[in-house]
Amino acid sequence: MVDNKKGNKYLLQILNSFKKKRYKQLKNIVRIFSIILKDRKGILGITIIVIIFCCAIFSPWIAPYDPYEQDIANRFAAPSLKHLLGTDNLGRDILSRIIYGARIAMTVSIGGVSIAVVVGVVLGCAAGYIGGVIDNVILWIADVIRAFPQIILILVLVAVLGPSIPNMIMVLAFTSMPQYARVARAETLSVKEEEYIFAVKSLGARTKRILLKHIIPNILPPVIILAGMDMAGMIMWEAGLSFLGLGVRPPTASWGIMLRNGYRYIRLSPWMIIWSSIAISMAMLGYSLFAESLRITLNPKESMEKQVGV
Amino acid sequence: MLQYFVKRLAWLIPTLLGVLFFTFSLIYFLPGDPASTMLGPRATPEIIKALQARLGLDKPVWVSFGKYVWGIITKGDLGESVWSHQPIYSLLLQALPYTIILAASSMVIAIIIGMILGILASAHEGSVLDSIITGFSLIATSIPNFVAACLLLLFFSVFLKLFPVIGAGEKGNILSQLHHLILPSFSLAISWIGYIAYLIRSTMLEVLDSDYIMTAKSFGIPMRCIAYKYALKNAIKPVVAVIGLGLGTLLGGAVFVEVIFNRPGLGKTIADAVFARDIPVVQGGVLLTAFLYVLSNLVADLSYAYFDPRIQYK
Repeated sequence: MVDNKKGNKYLLQILNSFKKKRYKQLKNIVRIFSIILKDRKGILGITIIVIIFCCAIFSPWIAPYDPYEQDIANRFAAPSLKHLLGTDNLGRDILSRIIYGARIAMTVSIGGVSIAVVVGVVLGCAAGYIGGVIDNVILWIADVIRAFPQIILILVLVAVLGPSIPNMIMVLAFTSMPQYARVARAETLSVKEEEYIFAVKSLGARTKRILLKHIIPNILPPVIILAGMDMAGMIMWEAGLSFLGLGVRPPTASWGIMLRNGYRYIRLSPWMIIWSSIAISMAMLGYSLFAESLRITLNPKESMEKQVGV
Repeated sequence: MLQYFVKRLAWLIPTLLGVLFFTFSLIYFLPGDPASTMLGPRATPEIIKALQARLGLDKPVWVSFGKYVWGIITKGDLGESVWSHQPIYSLLLQALPYTIILAASSMVIAIIIGMILGILASAHEGSVLDSIITGFSLIATSIPNFVAACLLLLFFSVFLKLFPVIGAGEKGNILSQLHHLILPSFSLAISWIGYIAYLIRSTMLEVLDSDYIMTAKSFGIPMRCIAYKYALKNAIKPVVAVIGLGLGTLLGGAVFVEVIFNRPGLGKTIADAVFARDIPVVQGGVLLTAFLYVLSNLVADLSYAYFDPRIQYK
């Protein structure tokens, strides 16, 4: 009896120290951001991301024109004071369409990444924690999805299911889910054997609590880095699908559709290609810079690993 | 080592079976009745019936899946196109060389330029040249290939008129084919140039920092000799892995570039079939790319394990 109490006391001590550690983790997040803000690349990345978010949220107030207002008499206009970036094939203001295009890019990338993260982490944790047959089945599913080049899978699935924004988000999430599952599984496997998990278990904590409170917080750092890079990838896929005519439907302002129009009228006006290329690449650059400096902050030894999708 | 090889190979079988099942079931993802969706609203019931029989849609799923797999394994039979009735096998075989040439040439470009840039940057660490190269490689990795293709087309074909706009060149005329190859392969290569330059730079710096380089330095071996004879040997390892991985990824990425430059490759075949709703051709193309992708990943993994024996302990 006495021994048991002593044992409990010891376990409680471990748990308390762990709680303090978690409090420290909160502090760490603040610290991470202050380090990122000291890094030039990090500042640049965050600035770009903030600008894009502002464009997406406040587009009706920022955009100088209605992005759907046509002015056929004034098509293919070069940049001027009236239209800062010129006009497109229907005389629509390119700047306004670029600003509105941020909405589609953000919707698709945030939607896709968040679904992929949630599903991937849940599956990966389940695989790592439960093990056995479930582990093998989940690994198998992930490997089958990864056996296709991502773009081929996205292209074909979107084409079969029909092009629409929700379908695009679901397909993007589906194809990038395996990488989160893999990371989550590997981290779960390594965390599972830690002493404090054993301690919590012997105190009678349920599996759900162990997973939610103890394992998932440890998985998050690598997952957040992956998600940052994935945002860049999703922006690219959305533009690519829309470019092929399999993404957003034409009147909608999307960077990919602008590039498509620019490609179609390449001999008449260079401006659509130039501005939409800059928009797509800047958005991707912002997220990769952010992810890269996050990686350096969280894990200084690792170098840029997986960046290029295509 | 052998154990790792065997394990890696054994895991391929269920993966490939899964891949087969997935491509087979693509047709069932079509909304509504697959045959009538593919043929469009003007098809008569008889035509729909005939297509259903041809695609095996009138039989239970497992029976037609079995037939599908059996046909592929024994005869390499992928069915035939819904519209042109050509066997898919020969359709893909015609397209494949264009894509392989494109992927291989862009990989060669990426490796040569990327390595030169990476070595230059690491040799002059902290200099202006280094920051220019690092900046370039960061920006280059953020340029998707379809964006690069459009920009290159705009500047080199439309403005400067140096390169042809579309097509793959005349048959039999190697010079013209090469001429048509330059822009597409550069647009595929550009993000890989950045990636490889970055990779080489960081691994070179890491290796140059290690103890045995210090020892070599203390023996008075000239820096140039150390960099090329000792450091580069180790820094090249990750590039080996990238080559295998990259070839597979480039096969997929070729879709955009082939559509933009109108090259009759694998990606263009798949994209055209997608637009024509010719699902059997899509299935065949997807299966072939997946197969090549799995193969190149396997080669990448095995060569990496071969070059770096520590990998199996991870």
